[in-house]
Amino acid sequence: MKYFYYIVTLTMILTSCIKDEPQNTECDILEAWVEGDHLAQHFFQNTDMRIREVSSGTDLLTFTIRNHASLPAMPVYFKLSSGAVVSPANGSEQDFSNGPVTYIVTSEDGQWHRTYQVDFREASLPSSSYDFEDFELSSNGNYYVWYDTGNDGAIDRIWASGNEGFMIANPNADAKDYPTVPDENGFDGYCVRLTTRATGSWGKAFKKPIAAGNLFLGAFDSKYALTNTLKTTQMGIPYTKEPVKVTGYYKYSPGEVFTDKDSREVPDRIDEPSIYSVLYLNHDEQGNEVMLHGDDVLTSPYIVRTAQEEALPATSDWQPFELTFKGTIPIDADLLANRGYSLALVFSSSKTGDTFEGAVGSTLYIDKVKITFQTEQTTENAQ
Amino acid sequence: MRHIQISLILFCLALLTGPATAQIDFDNIQLKARVGYNIGATAPLGIPASIRGIESFKLIPDFRVGFDAMYPLSEKFGIAAGLFFETKGMDGEVTTKGYHMKVKMDDAEMEGLYTGHVRQKVQQRMLTIPLQLSYRISEKVELTGGPYLSLLLAKEFSGYAFDGYLRKDDPTGAKVVMGNQEGEWATYDFSDEMRTCQLGATVGVNWDLFRRLGLSADLSWGLTGIHRSDFKTVEQTLYPIYGTIGIFYRIK
Repeated sequence: MKYFYYIVTLTMILTSCIKDEPQNTECDILEAWVEGDHLAQHFFQNTDMRIREVSSGTDLLTFTIRNHASLPAMPVYFKLSSGAVVSPANGSEQDFSNGPVTYIVTSEDGQWHRTYQVDFREASLPSSSYDFEDFELSSNGNYYVWYDTGNDGAIDRIWASGNEGFMIANPNADAKDYPTVPDENGFDGYCVRLTTRATGSWGKAFKKPIAAGNLFLGAFDSKYALTNTLKTTQMGIPYTKEPVKVTGYYKYSPGEVFTDKDSREVPDRIDEPSIYSVLYLNHDEQGNEVMLHGDDVLTSPYIVRTAQEEALPATSDWQPFELTFKGTIPIDADLLANRGYSLALVFSSSKTGDTFEGAVGSTLYIDKVKITFQTEQTTENAQ
Repeated sequence: MRHIQISLILFCLALLTGPATAQIDFDNIQLKARVGYNIGATAPLGIPASIRGIESFKLIPDFRVGFDAMYPLSEKFGIAAGLFFETKGMDGEVTTKGYHMKVKMDDAEMEGLYTGHVRQKVQQRMLTIPLQLSYRISEKVELTGGPYLSLLLAKEFSGYAFDGYLRKDDPTGAKVVMGNQEGEWATYDFSDEMRTCQLGATVGVNWDLFRRLGLSADLSWGLTGIHRSDFKTVEQTLYPIYGTIGIFYRIK
């Protein structure tokens, strides 16, 4: 029976020889903040002093400030991956008056690095027209991203799409085959073309068989791309004017076969696009930041205005659309001026694409989007 | 590995052809029927540092049944060959930190470094032919050892990664969270990449207990990985290492 003993011993050796924990290879900035009451005056909101939950794909961290000219040297603190170090040193005062400062994070094992830009930017007046002429390939070259050029000439990455999530399921897809792409046949110049795509075998395995083409004001975090897609969409950016209506042009053709989340055909159901916009309070009563996601962007109690088109009929010619903001909750003008409200604006090629129902091939073209603000309309009315 | 395989084959041939040249007295052949319980794992030789813990290890009712025939060469030495049907499975859960893995579905691959939980299932049904030298050390106890060849009739190597996250491609890549329920975790299945033929070595002991009945204990150690050598998706080569506790009945 001694062999039995050896077998048992061998099994024990195999299962118990766990080696020493390897050093961490990750080198992310997970959170960045500025602290100190004396620095709060440079920000509109205290929450603007902290950038929470930096997504793994982000390498530009922007703090929004009141006035660039009076900005002192700022000590920026970082929460890093376990064991990682940052240079310049964590919390050291840096001069941001000449533009972004480059930080390099090195992993605990010293083998991996990530380079981040940290910037302090004056809040720019919100743009009111979006023509979708400004796009480029993402830093990994896989898909397209859209940006806005602020009034200081710098790039504002205010637009986000689900393209990054599509990449995870379809790493070999060509940039032109993603759900959200530029199209040269715009109303004028380029437009954005949103197409509902099949997500392939991965998507099916995760019960997310389709990806609607979408584009929205806000940010996308791929972290939950396979688990909780509704949380990947961070809807809205701070807006300092009260919106009255959203106008623009669209074309739409629904895909042929409408399917549910189990990829089963739903006969006689025709896909629809969706365009909507909401203005919401971006802080709760306790002063905590509020961010709307795919699951509450139309239902959150923090919403004060909603603009939504009931029906957008299929059309192969450019048709104008006009969405009027509705809502009776008073808007605090002072809070509005201090970036206390955010505006979400969402375009999607399948209205129920967020629950993975839609028709593959549904295509929505969007161009020449304009947001009309309270003051502008008053001026227009006076003319 | 190739050298081991060649030398094993040569050894088998030597065992088979050795007695063939001599006169065989079939009356001397001892025939044993055996049934046993297999316990073991499909594991790398040396657990990599990226595996941080073994959370669970389920015992699977694996068994081995068949017979072997031993031809005595002298008073103490003999050679034996047998034919067994056996199952070798595994069902375990480990935690990892930065474990290199690739999960593949049809044409879409996802490769990266995974930190979290992995549940791994292995199931193999096979016909095994052991060739053994035996040496009787006492009246009741006999030691055996030699190579074996297994032909797999059914095979499964599958599992899922859950409650963790994958860094796509390398530690700086996109972070993708895996959930802890079906539909939120990443499944994989590399059954098709498994070998249908495994080579290994066994050592064992037979203990005559009572009349024709006896007890046996064997250790079989796979010398070929369970996957084909061109399969690189799993970071380490995994070897089947199983022990068998059994009883035998001497038919003749």
